[in-house]
Amino acid sequence: MRILFFGHLRDVTRCARMEVHFDESADADAVWRKLIESHPALARFHGCVRLARNCEYAGADARFADADEVALIPPVSGG
Amino acid sequence: MQIEIEMITQPIQPRRELPAALAGLAGAVAEFTGIVRAEENGRPVAALEYEAYAPMAEREMRRIIEAVGREHPCLAVRVIHRVGVIPVGEAAIYVAAFAPHRAEAFAMLTKFMDRLKQDVPIWKVRAIEQP
Repeated sequence: MRILFFGHLRDVTRCARMEVHFDESADADAVWRKLIESHPALARFHGCVRLARNCEYAGADARFADADEVALIPPVSGG
Repeated sequence: MQIEIEMITQPIQPRRELPAALAGLAGAVAEFTGIVRAEENGRPVAALEYEAYAPMAEREMRRIIEAVGREHPCLAVRVIHRVGVIPVGEAAIYVAAFAPHRAEAFAMLTKFMDRLKQDVPIWKVRAIEQP
């Protein structure tokens, strides 16, 4: 699974992307656990960052597969 | 409804011409230009740097336009969003909404911009201070 980081989250992780592997499909909590394992500083953003799966916001019941592209979307500020 | 979305790094050139296929149908074109101000969070700045998750940003903008269009039918909507470093006074976004009457065009602009600022993955990532 490819994970993408944007905005200040890239400063937190010091990378724009990372690869993680899941043997089976995972829910959002499992994805977050894996991310925080790799980058503990992400924990404090859990409440304000949304997950997108393949360019769409993931609903509460979304399942994430190993082939997915998952982006962490901090609060946006375009326009 | 015809939807045109562009994400560019060069200065925005507003384009208010109606798509050719819709000639004669529009009675209103409403335009919005969002401009970088000289102040960000109370501090003077010379420019702002914008970043986008481009494929998702385009998809979200299209989704929002289609959703707003169901409530406020328009003929066409054109969006140009600039990313990268944008100096003060230059446009970060340009939106043109074409509709038979002004009410739909105004509503499209307002609602699109409101939702863009909630959901479209574009960020101001850096304020560049005045020298």
